[in-house]
Amino acid sequence: MVDVEAETVNEEAAVIESGARIYEIGYLITPTVKEDGLEKAVGAIRSEIEKLGGNFIAEGAPSLTKLAYSITAREEGKKIEIDRAHFGWLKFEVQNSAVDIIEKLLKQDANILRSIIFQTVREDTRAKMKAPTLREVRRTDTIKSMPRRAVEAADQVPVSEEDLEKALKDITTE
Amino acid sequence: MSTNILTQNDIRHVDYKDIDLLKQFINPHGRIISRTRTRLTARQQRAVEAAIKRARLMGLLPYIQK
Repeated sequence: MVDVEAETVNEEAAVIESGARIYEIGYLITPTVKEDGLEKAVGAIRSEIEKLGGNFIAEGAPSLTKLAYSITAREEGKKIEIDRAHFGWLKFEVQNSAVDIIEKLLKQDANILRSIIFQTVREDTRAKMKAPTLREVRRTDTIKSMPRRAVEAADQVPVSEEDLEKALKDITTE
Repeated sequence: MSTNILTQNDIRHVDYKDIDLLKQFINPHGRIISRTRTRLTARQQRAVEAAIKRARLMGLLPYIQK
């Protein structure tokens, strides 16, 4: 435990000395961009970060996501409403002085609808929690008596009409 | 002892991409639920709020929901 703490302190000291920090960028690429274009767009971001001396830690490939609200964007001088976009992310280590440059580059990119950059930690921040599902409800609409009825019917011995009349007569005479 | 979703599941970092987790902390109108109801610690609540705001900016969560 003490060793782990000492290690983290050493790591932090090294980070402060070097000025390198962990950052994550999230980006939305316009849905009009095709798969080849996506690779190009992500490749451009990656190359810019590499140029600035960044080391990649993790990456989430862009995937088409339905947005929670429509975003207004300008395309060829016209306003358009975008309700889905390719969402991807990148985690990397870079000098803190390079962040402003990366931010500007992302804003200048016409394919990128929206982007975010913030400081984070090296370890995986995704929760390993299973998404809560609805409580299992006992179904009441299923018909369970069907097979039982079928069994009862099978057990019954067919009664002829004569026997039935006899039985009825016996009841009425009594 | 009071417990909350993050402590129960041993979640140390809140990620803005974990939409299903963050949905636990917003009400049907899309507003952030207060600490009295979430039962989070002050630090956890701040982390959740920051993550929700990042998710909203990126269009993963709504600002308002009718």
